[in-house]
Amino acid sequence: MTGEMKKQNQPCTLSVKDITKSFGTNAVLKGVSIDLHAGDVLVLIGGNGAGKSTLMKIIMGIYRADGGEICIDGKAVNMTNPSAALAAGVYMVPQEPMLFPNMTVEENILMGFHESSQELKKRLAKHMEELGFKLNLQRKANTLSIAEQQLVEILRGMMREAKVLILDEPTSALTFGEVQALFRVVEDLKSKGISMIYITHRLTEVFEIATDVAIMKDGVITLRGPVGEFDKEMLIRGLLPTDAEMQESGRTAYVPVPYDKLKPVMEVRNLSGYGFSNISFDLYPGEILGIAGVVGAGRTELISTIFGRDKVLGGTVKLDGKDITGLPTARILKEGINFVPEDRHYHGLFKIRSISSNTTSALLNTDEIGRVEINRKRQNEISQKYVDEFRTKIVSLEDLIGSLSGGNQQKVVIARSLSTNPKVVILDEPTRGIDAAARGDVYNIIHQLKDAGVAVLMVSSDIEEVVELADRAVTVFQGRINGEFGHDEITQDVLTGASFGIAQKKAVSE
Amino acid sequence: MNKIKDLFKARWMSSLVFLILLFLITGIADHNFLTYSNIINCFNTATMYTLLAIGIAFVIMTGEIDVSIGATLGLTAAMTGLIAQSGGSIGKMLLVCVAVGAAVGVVNGMGVAFFGVPSLIFTLGTNGLIRGLIYIVTDGRTVENFGGPIAYYGNKELFGQITLYYALTILLVAVAHVLLTRTRKGKYFIAVGDNPGGANLVGISVFRTKLIAYILCGVFAGIAGYVFASKYRQVMTVAGNGYEMTAIAACVLGGISLSGGLGNMVGAAIGAVIMSSISRLLVFIGLPSDYNNTITGVMLIVIVVVDSLTQRRSIEMSRRKRLLSRTAVGAAKGGDEA
Repeated sequence: MTGEMKKQNQPCTLSVKDITKSFGTNAVLKGVSIDLHAGDVLVLIGGNGAGKSTLMKIIMGIYRADGGEICIDGKAVNMTNPSAALAAGVYMVPQEPMLFPNMTVEENILMGFHESSQELKKRLAKHMEELGFKLNLQRKANTLSIAEQQLVEILRGMMREAKVLILDEPTSALTFGEVQALFRVVEDLKSKGISMIYITHRLTEVFEIATDVAIMKDGVITLRGPVGEFDKEMLIRGLLPTDAEMQESGRTAYVPVPYDKLKPVMEVRNLSGYGFSNISFDLYPGEILGIAGVVGAGRTELISTIFGRDKVLGGTVKLDGKDITGLPTARILKEGINFVPEDRHYHGLFKIRSISSNTTSALLNTDEIGRVEINRKRQNEISQKYVDEFRTKIVSLEDLIGSLSGGNQQKVVIARSLSTNPKVVILDEPTRGIDAAARGDVYNIIHQLKDAGVAVLMVSSDIEEVVELADRAVTVFQGRINGEFGHDEITQDVLTGASFGIAQKKAVSE
Repeated sequence: MNKIKDLFKARWMSSLVFLILLFLITGIADHNFLTYSNIINCFNTATMYTLLAIGIAFVIMTGEIDVSIGATLGLTAAMTGLIAQSGGSIGKMLLVCVAVGAAVGVVNGMGVAFFGVPSLIFTLGTNGLIRGLIYIVTDGRTVENFGGPIAYYGNKELFGQITLYYALTILLVAVAHVLLTRTRKGKYFIAVGDNPGGANLVGISVFRTKLIAYILCGVFAGIAGYVFASKYRQVMTVAGNGYEMTAIAACVLGGISLSGGLGNMVGAAIGAVIMSSISRLLVFIGLPSDYNNTITGVMLIVIVVVDSLTQRRSIEMSRRKRLLSRTAVGAAKGGDEA
């Protein structure tokens, strides 16, 4: 009670008012306001692409806001670059610590100051003693664990007398013991009156350290208040898209997959690798299996390992009964698995080649389009077939692929992977960055694949997409599968809850 | 004791060991090599390479490159010669060399740090531009027949056969070394090369740091141009051609990583001595000097490949460690039991 009273009378340590920011035509922040008092720990949660990182980068002066105001201790500050933010007493501990790997811990912490080094060292020793940190200052930063690197980052913030500390997903790469140690540090800082913004994807953490919670969705803060006013169910509901009901009623008549008559085409057993562990699932022909989860849960690592791009640490992958664990990518392609990557530009497209060259590029090491010389006619026939089937909007097959819109580019990438007649198609975020109309077309194509008997493995952070398309779904949380759902069980609540680490079975059965 | 251990772990130490081994091997091949004056000569002839190497070391330290220093040397050498022909003072020559070098540095720095052009491409462009300027300044003729004080100092020995210029160069190496490793601003160069994003986050201006690195690089190339003119008293239009490769190789041999953030000036100076000695050593070993470029090329490639492989390996290892800690036993405990 008295605590609340006291808070109201003090000016806000950090006050962010009506921040807006657009990248091109894409409005990322649509008027965000945040108030922090001394000693507040505001936990900010929200799905991928909600705008959390953009907001933090604006507070830190890395991006410039299009509109709005940032005040520190009641005074407006012009955050034009990180030095301005540092001078104002804001420090961000980024998700991946940004240390200088070849420098010592001491050099890392003292870099960028203007005082004499004697004095700095004295202050550093004082801060370390207060926080109870024990770190050998002469160690090179590249020998530190992630947890130790975070401590170095926090010390950097303390050395700058930071009043506001931003922690961006600090626990995403920590072990359990390290998380507990970090929470103790957060408590310590809190008692010293330092305000913190803490971004996380783990809802359980909210109730361990937050004084306040805010949920961010599509560039606005939809819900905020003292943590005491919330429970987990409210948070999950807050994370769901607002038009959830509408979307669900729009689903078309569903033809169930006759699982009892089918043999799985791909069997994954206890597969472990870098970023995931002990993953098991079956994939049946003619089904769409959705893999849901937040970014960083290990889904991308899982599928790229299956596709032979990273090392398998344990377990097996079988395709039609044949062991394909750990084969190189070229062999896996030949065995009949194809992969449509998340980032079209980096991994999917040959930007300065024509549409037909792109469509048939996966056939270059077969004899399909000519043994030595490329058979242009055959190439165009194949490309035309897919252009017609997918309703790709093009002027000529000879146009550069870069001239197409994102959705049409994605159709070409999918067409390319189909041209090899695969048994399994892996789609990573198939509709990211694609407008609504093209999205419908891509969904149709995925349905066509399914009808043709291809097994589709679809990774998506867009829960609506999984609900819309998947016959079955699994959720990945911190590198493990923590939920498997049949078609009737797939709802937005269940998948959102499981993606954020909360098994929701109970709530559903009630 | 620890200090001595650290000394041997330092990257430039292996360069020094390599240099001594080179001398010893040559000495075994031909006993006549191991005389005082031969060895001192190896150092004296490294004067220009040393100046170029410590200049470009600032740029390489920030993770960039500058292939226009050979041309800058050529231009400033030609201008020094022209001033000498018209009877100008040494002070005027040095002033012009430093100013021209700094101007080239500003252009390179703006192109790379402000406009964001890849540094190899941009400095290749300025390289061509400066080569063109040399022709304009000299009318395409060799600048020669100049004497006066500049000729007198050219090969003046200070003591024990060490030339005046090499002694002054060593002084500059010491200053640059202290600047880079002991001062706060000097460490900015290392920080920017080590992790530009991190440097930005602690309030270091990446743009300003790179700009200053290019200016220093240009200034050192300008001084090297003066030394060139003074020493040879004949500046052809192609003077300094290929010197940039030698300087880069010297840095790499001296333990400066081409990806930035690693190494120091002592290493660059030792690397310069290795590079300038090779042609002399070949004579004593009995190989024709035609092999000179091939051998330095092979050495450069081997060192750069090893360097980039170890860098990539350490990046990959830390990525894997990070991913593994996510799935480590206990990590998943955070949320499951809800």
